[in-house]
Amino acid sequence: MSEIHGAVGSYVANALDPDELDEFEAHLAVCPTCSREVQEFGETVAELSLLASVTPPAELRGSILAAVSQVRPLPPEPLAELAPVEAEAPSATPVSQPPVDELALRRQQRRARLLSVLVAAVVAAALAMGGVVYGLVQSRQAQVAQQTAATELLTAPDVRTYSTTMKDGGQISFVVSKSLNRAMFVGKDLPAVGNDKRYQLWTLEGQRAIADNLVAGGGDRQQFFREGLSGITGLAVSVEDAGGAQQPNPATIQAVTEL
Amino acid sequence: MNVSSLPPDSEGQPSRSAPRTEGSRGRETEAAHLVELMALSARGHEYAFAELYDLTSQRVYGIILRVLRSPDHAAEVMQEVYVEVWRQSARYSSTKGSVIAWMTTMAHRRAVDRVRSVSSEVARDERYALHRGDREIDQVWDGVEQRLDVERVRKGMASLTPIQREALTLAYFGGYTQSQVAQLLKLPLGTVKTRIRDGLIGLRDALGVEA
Repeated sequence: MSEIHGAVGSYVANALDPDELDEFEAHLAVCPTCSREVQEFGETVAELSLLASVTPPAELRGSILAAVSQVRPLPPEPLAELAPVEAEAPSATPVSQPPVDELALRRQQRRARLLSVLVAAVVAAALAMGGVVYGLVQSRQAQVAQQTAATELLTAPDVRTYSTTMKDGGQISFVVSKSLNRAMFVGKDLPAVGNDKRYQLWTLEGQRAIADNLVAGGGDRQQFFREGLSGITGLAVSVEDAGGAQQPNPATIQAVTEL
Repeated sequence: MNVSSLPPDSEGQPSRSAPRTEGSRGRETEAAHLVELMALSARGHEYAFAELYDLTSQRVYGIILRVLRSPDHAAEVMQEVYVEVWRQSARYSSTKGSVIAWMTTMAHRRAVDRVRSVSSEVARDERYALHRGDREIDQVWDGVEQRLDVERVRKGMASLTPIQREALTLAYFGGYTQSQVAQLLKLPLGTVKTRIRDGLIGLRDALGVEA
């Protein structure tokens, strides 16, 4: 058995250091034996948790249920919004690529690779996000200008990524750089909303919501916020009529992130 | 501290759609019920989520508290975890494993992340981990079935070698990295890695866990 394979127990116990973790996850992606063991050990440690059972403080229940009853509750601190725990393996190769200039494609892919490495270095728990960004970069080969701006944002030294899942499904991230004073919405597999509806972005200043750009539903999308970030305390996305709304409809708010 | 004298959840336990029976049949029924509750949560049914909370919160909170030691931090992580479970309920798939494994994995990972980001604040007594780590404390069982389940797991742990048990306990309940476990046990890293994996294999086989 290779040494890397032996790390599977420590992986499930979350006992790997970051560099060991990267190495093991790269191995895990190609090792069915390890995948099976990860799942079995996951069930095993879940049983182990029985030995630790403690009744939580009663007030926690109310507080959690209250938080959940808000459409998209704000977390105790923004860090909690970092890439989702259950990272799905990024599907890096879109199947329906139209044939394009080989060299441009290769250059683009190289940049995408470079980008995903950069992003991985900058963003904690980068696996899921790397997948989003990688797919995003690869699927936007024509939009060079937009891409340059996106590249600039993604490689900004203070870039932060807030990932979450929208109320109606679809994995989204807000990519934010305060030094560039810019924020971008990135959606992966956005649910379709119909021709007469759009996703609408919002910047939040305390209790006030300011209407921002619109994004079509369906597929993978990226869209910069029109507004800069000064005074902005949060970002949100809702579903509105295609013309956009002046105020978000509370019932259709899909996700809110506190900066 | 003895928590078993505390009153049960003030909200009370909601009725379960399937009565729990003894042994693995009961566990399977409960596992299937949790899958159902996840599906209902994914469709926005808060009552289902409340029941999911009632059925899982002791284990999820227990593991978070055991890793973090600080009730304040544990409550915060607990809230994060459940809100995230709610948010991601549509993304849970039973092909990835049981609901409880999905939740405890998320809880453990977040607790460990928290420990590593605030370890300077939280005073973590290493001797405590070494000598109390695998002894259950501050716990309550809500009935015979659970007591039997606990007994089964405790027996499984007892079937491991002392080093396997200690390495696994420090890593899982202590929230230590394998290098820290190696330092604590004064063993080479490779040995610790193997012991943790062997410990999990032993426990998996003792419990008859299947993926």
